[in-house]
Amino acid sequence: MSQDIAVQVTDLSKNYGPVQALRGVDLSIAAGEYFVLLGPSGGGKTTLLRLLGGFIRPSAGRILLHGIDVSEQPPNHRPTSMVFQSFALFPHMNVAQNIGYGLRLRKLPKVEIDERVAAMLDLVGLGDLADRMPHALSGGQQQRVQLGRSLVLETDILLLDEPLAALDAKLRKDMCLELKHLQEQVGITFVHVTHNQEEAMTVADNMAIIADGELVETGTARDLYENPRRRFTADFIGETNIFDGTVTGVNNGEVAVDLGFAALTVDDNGQCPNVGTEVSVSIRSELVQILRSGIAVAADQQTLTANYGEAVYLGLATSHVAALPNGQAVVARHVSTGLALDVIAPGSSVELAWPRSMMRLHLS
Amino acid sequence: MGKALFLAPIVFMTLFFALPLALTVVWSVFERTMFWMEPGFTLFAYENFFFSARLENFLSSMWHSSISVVVAFIFGFPVAVFVRRRIPQVAQHRVILLFILPFMVSEIIRIFALRPVLQRTGLVNNVLLELGVITEPITVILYTPLGVIIGEVLSFLPFIVFAGFLAMEAVPKYIFEICDDLGAPRHRVFIDVILPLAAPGIFAGAVFIFVNGLGVALLPNILGGPGAVNAGLIATQAIAALDFPLAMAVSAIMMTTLLGLLYIGHRLFDLTRILSPIN
Amino acid sequence: MGDDYSSVWSYRLKWLYTLLVVFTLMLPVFYVIYVSFNQNGFGAAEYVFTFEWYGEIFSDLLLLGALGNTFILAGITLAVAVPMGLIAAKFYKATEAKLLTVSLLLSPLFVPADILGSALLVFFKNLNIACATIGEWLGVSWFDTWFELGYFSALVGLIIYTLPYIFVVILITMGRYNEQQTEAARSCGATAWQAFVQVEFPQIRAGVFSACAFAVILTFNEYTRTSLLKGGYDTITSVLISQMLNEGMSEQSYAMSSLISFIAIALIGSIILYTLVQSERLEREARAKAEPVMSG
Repeated sequence: MSQDIAVQVTDLSKNYGPVQALRGVDLSIAAGEYFVLLGPSGGGKTTLLRLLGGFIRPSAGRILLHGIDVSEQPPNHRPTSMVFQSFALFPHMNVAQNIGYGLRLRKLPKVEIDERVAAMLDLVGLGDLADRMPHALSGGQQQRVQLGRSLVLETDILLLDEPLAALDAKLRKDMCLELKHLQEQVGITFVHVTHNQEEAMTVADNMAIIADGELVETGTARDLYENPRRRFTADFIGETNIFDGTVTGVNNGEVAVDLGFAALTVDDNGQCPNVGTEVSVSIRSELVQILRSGIAVAADQQTLTANYGEAVYLGLATSHVAALPNGQAVVARHVSTGLALDVIAPGSSVELAWPRSMMRLHLS
Repeated sequence: MGKALFLAPIVFMTLFFALPLALTVVWSVFERTMFWMEPGFTLFAYENFFFSARLENFLSSMWHSSISVVVAFIFGFPVAVFVRRRIPQVAQHRVILLFILPFMVSEIIRIFALRPVLQRTGLVNNVLLELGVITEPITVILYTPLGVIIGEVLSFLPFIVFAGFLAMEAVPKYIFEICDDLGAPRHRVFIDVILPLAAPGIFAGAVFIFVNGLGVALLPNILGGPGAVNAGLIATQAIAALDFPLAMAVSAIMMTTLLGLLYIGHRLFDLTRILSPIN
Repeated sequence: MGDDYSSVWSYRLKWLYTLLVVFTLMLPVFYVIYVSFNQNGFGAAEYVFTFEWYGEIFSDLLLLGALGNTFILAGITLAVAVPMGLIAAKFYKATEAKLLTVSLLLSPLFVPADILGSALLVFFKNLNIACATIGEWLGVSWFDTWFELGYFSALVGLIIYTLPYIFVVILITMGRYNEQQTEAARSCGATAWQAFVQVEFPQIRAGVFSACAFAVILTFNEYTRTSLLKGGYDTITSVLISQMLNEGMSEQSYAMSSLISFIAIALIGSIILYTLVQSERLEREARAKAEPVMSG
């Protein structure tokens, strides 16, 4: 049963009165996978997670966990356990009592509870804090206790609702890797909700983009970053330049797109648009080069003429902004070299160039 | 089963609170009999109210009640502002709790105890005479409309403090810092900032005092003179006289007044804003 | 307190004013207490300090009977209204019809005692007649007396009176409770009831106890509704008012009112103290959260 499906969701919807928080989502998550639900705030990803946990009841659709329909089951009857965004520890219990709470509910013998709690404390690195009360813990420690409280139950699926959102940036990075390693160690399915791209890419085996109550796209971090199918994904992940235009010709796997001031030719990537449809073409900012006018470029490069705007120094990278004839801004991002050659006078005419093969076509 | 239990308070309040009050309208048009009433339709009770001294009494009790509202606001609201603005957050509720201390003693005893305080040979007159502020005892402060107003202010002032305290929740502390920074004078801060933001809460407190001033029979009964009669007293007197339709008509008129006031307030200030602190 | 530039004296003056207002409101209460210790009773020219009247409370059968009645009423009100307030607060949190719920539960605050009392009186009399009529039709008599004026009708009046206060006190305490803890407990495998008893209740206990204190104190001091709805028996306040309006209160009655106020003030005093301790603890926690003990 190694290829077991842990979560199978079909046509899942949730309405709050007239507001549709989630619309017809279909999704499946393999057992033992670290799966991330990524998307902008208010997009419905937390709603989906809470539906999986049983904290809200679906308006339509089915939820199968390990093949069993749990759509009508309350949280305590599901093989799931949840880690919350805010510090949802029980403030009147100490660390060990918090972690042991679920085991006490299962009426396990005290010796076994103590053993498992101790083992869990070691696993999450809180071995010496067993008697602390939650208010005497730092944010990171509190989230570890939450993790312990869920993991000790040995449920098949762990749900994490923005578990790192309340932590500061540095701590978040460390905890991210720790989460990933923890998941590899315990081997159960993790479903993790976040709006933070870097966090998502660090931990995810697979992820789903969710926005406006819909499942936009699923795939590995690499797929979604390098080869997004949807315009939304391209726009949401990484820093991407997107050009909207009309299809003027389809030829032998290549699509010609008219931008109004220039024309692009892009690989159809298995999609077959009709002539006349509105499409988008995107190119990631780190692939765009800025060249002084008149410099020769290789044949495999796409070029566009633009007006240089300004450079924004960001430490590791420097962003160069240039304006196309229609006014649209294009960003080119490069590792800062510190060389004076980088300096281009604002307002001067430049050539933007990028590899043709790296352009992506989006029909929607 | 569990669901039904959750509805219990709602069902109870609907059955024993909303329903009896709504039915007062029906009972007010029943025919009066010797000891009770019987179904029918007559406006006799309303005639009895509107075309007699009762209307006059009702209107003057409205006037006295309004004065009480204003006086209670002037004395009570600054306390609410002070507590919100100057007392540390954690201590605020404690200071406000001081104002429920008077309620630890029955309203009736408090009101009755005002007699020896205010009467001709009472505490206030004695102290003032001793101090030489007056040479003759003041007699207009008991068994007069003034006595009723004093009683109303003393009984209901805590409510304007509570309402004001809740209302000031809508005025975040940084507002005062902005006003200080801009150099706004105190009265402008009050008129331009505090009043508009705290209006719903202040209004709720004011309505509370106004309606209770009209409805609590004890106040005019114990402190007022012969002419001091408010709606509550009319109703209880009617019940004592076994004129139930009249009592119900007075109740209906009171409820209409209350609902009218709340409606106006809601249109003016959106009273749901009061609830934001508990949501 | 206040900001660093404001005058300390204006701050002290405002405090003084606040306490003066409280003192003025309490003046009648103090006066009653003062009279209760006077050997010569109310209005006497000479003041002789004594505890005598307090001793005599317990030989005044009328007063003791009324005290007993009041205790029973307070006990039942407590047992019914506090759970109801708790349920109402939970319902309010869960329901989407918040405005309707809160209006229904809080509007009794705005309906004067005499008005509600009169309406309920007529309501119960009508129910009584209806029961008798239906009973006659059916030829049974076992529910004839359900709605007769007495304990039941007085209780209904008291519950309506106390419920809004209880509801608000509990709701405010619940406001500080983080709902996610309930979800966390559910996710640990707790049933809704276990989550409430083991996780939520320990944290809102203070509010529930305050609500209990409120219910008892309000019941002890309520007069108007009870006197309209009580039927034949007496409560403390109804005895007191009949004395007042007729021959004036007896000395024992002053002592009794004072005693009740002492107990009530002590109760509220301890609640204030308790919240003081609680809130300082909460503040410490808040500080601890704001500044983590150690990072990582």
